[in-house]
Amino acid sequence: MKEPEPEKFGAHSRRTFLKSLGTVAATTATAQVKSVAAELEKVNAEKVIGPEAVPVTLKVNGEKLKLLLEPRVTLLDALRNYSSLTGAKEGCDRASCGACTVLINDAPVYSCQKLAIEAQGVEITTIEGLAKDGKLTKVQSAFIEKDALQCGYCTPGFVMSVTALLKKNFHPTAADVKHACAGNLCRCGCHPHILQAALKAAGVGHAAKTEIVNYA
Amino acid sequence: MKAFQYATAHSPDSARQLVADNGAYLAGGNDLLGLLKEYLVTADPLVNIKSLPGLNKIEDGRKAWTIGALVTIAQIENHADIKKTFPGLHEAASEIASLQIRNVATVGGNLAQHSRCWYFRQRDVKCLKKHGDLCYARSSENRYHSLFTGNDCISPVVSSLATTFAALDASAIVLRDGKELRWSMAELYAEAWKNPYAHNSLQPGDLIVRVEIPTARSRSAYMQISDKHAFDWALVSCAAAAEIADGKMKSPRVALGSISPVPHQSEAANSFLDGKVLDDATATQAADMILKDAKPLEHNAYKMPMAQALIRRTLLKLKGDA
Ligand SMILES: Cc1cc2nc3c(=O)[nH]c(=O)nc-3n(C[C@H](O)[C@H](O)[C@H](O)COP(=O)(O)OP(=O)(O)OC[C@H]3O[C@@H](n4cnc5c(N)ncnc54)[C@H](O)[C@@H]3O)c2cc1C
Ligand code: SF4
Ligand code: FES
Ligand code: FES
Repeated sequence: MKEPEPEKFGAHSRRTFLKSLGTVAATTATAQVKSVAAELEKVNAEKVIGPEAVPVTLKVNGEKLKLLLEPRVTLLDALRNYSSLTGAKEGCDRASCGACTVLINDAPVYSCQKLAIEAQGVEITTIEGLAKDGKLTKVQSAFIEKDALQCGYCTPGFVMSVTALLKKNFHPTAADVKHACAGNLCRCGCHPHILQAALKAAGVGHAAKTEIVNYA
Repeated sequence: MKAFQYATAHSPDSARQLVADNGAYLAGGNDLLGLLKEYLVTADPLVNIKSLPGLNKIEDGRKAWTIGALVTIAQIENHADIKKTFPGLHEAASEIASLQIRNVATVGGNLAQHSRCWYFRQRDVKCLKKHGDLCYARSSENRYHSLFTGNDCISPVVSSLATTFAALDASAIVLRDGKELRWSMAELYAEAWKNPYAHNSLQPGDLIVRVEIPTARSRSAYMQISDKHAFDWALVSCAAAAEIADGKMKSPRVALGSISPVPHQSEAANSFLDGKVLDDATATQAADMILKDAKPLEHNAYKMPMAQALIRRTLLKLKGDA
């Protein structure tokens, strides 16, 4: 049987092709084992699953979390309600406040507007994953030192955003911090102190020289 | 959110088969999950298209650049050569929403996002766009609505990328029944101009696969004005693009967002600007032509002087340094 050309290898033909091969083929045809296994994986991935709960494996703070979740469960709910990681907060649940910010492969994203099922196979970092052996990170310590919170509800989100910024930009300006944190809102109005904390954590300038930002 | 079935597509063909008549494509999910949470759309099944091969690339070319539908807004913002070649596109991308959204939001999803009219987004209100009898915005809160429309719904297109792509004369390549359609931005939204139920011209199952931007205009600029200085929708947005030779504009185009269901353009103004030297008087005259026949409503008349100023500023920004 001639292999179809890759681009003409549509879902249906591939499915029928694999069905006709059966699973034995994967163990016998040595030369093809790898590609058939890859094809099998694709076919499984293209299977329609749910709406009932299905196995979902997340990698959070370096550890595997094996959960049973309906496809509609958001990453935020998976963390908070299906495991005990309540550090990321739910504010708006509409991608508008930043309280739920987590890092995916070091980039900040809103966990409320992402399904858990599509966050498999990536590195997820939550606020719980920052401190190592009980030792706070520079960013966390700077938030305490600069009194960058009141109620603290927005804090995990801001800390994640600042942490992500400082991984890419070692010497951010005040404008860089504001651009990076624009998607985080603080109802208690701590933005000027948060800015100072971010600059302090980066070791940029002296906090006293920092402009006090008018957020009006 | 209602429970739904879920699948990941690995080819455009299978995506089309999986989505069938009642499914929805999931890209970054910023818009779609909001709609699902408010019970405004059904997704049966929800088809994740983020694993479609080859659609997450930005490719340069002498005559045109290709931007895959799965390219994120952050990818555009951080692309050094985009900043050089299409500065207006860089400016538009970096002002969209927040970093958290730009990191996942895609070009396809940004173009295909639904109306932001608050009556539309409120699940308990059944306005005209949701097949009710009345446009509530017309007689009530219409501060964020259109100055132009071809139907009774006055909800404007809010995609900042669409505004910029319109000025750059970019095309969206849409896959329908296995065939590629090439649409200008005007065509991508033409249906929303005449049909109150439409957000754009896409039909169920249509897949935006890429956007192609001609390199014919080396100058481009984008500006928006919002209530907040960051992380906010544009009240009015404006993009302009042209080639400038001997101080004169060649093939200039201006487009505005958030004031019409389509990126608002005036062919008359574009031809008027062609061959002209940019100065304040010329820009002002162009702005008058672009806003001619606008129909301000009770609460959005402020958009008139705002759009006037934005057109002038964006055009003058084209002069730039070089
Ligand atoms: C607070 C806030 C502020 C914002 N400000 C701005 C702003 O200033 N300017 C702006 O432009 N946007 C703004 N946005 C909108 C945001 O940019 C869009 O929601 C986002 O770009 C959508 O992209 P996505 O990939 O997440 O799409 P999704 O949510 O995954 O999809 C959106 C829609 O497009 C469809 N779709 C997705 N991909 C395709 C495709 N390839 N072909 C066909 N259909 C497709 C989906 O089925 C769905 O209906 C803002 C959003 C928020 C929440
Ligand atoms: S503008 Fe359109 S979406 Fe808004 S209330 Fe009127 S009909 Fe509905
Ligand atoms: S809870 Fe996710 S942005 Fe507000
Ligand atoms: S400290 Fe209360 S919301 Fe920021």
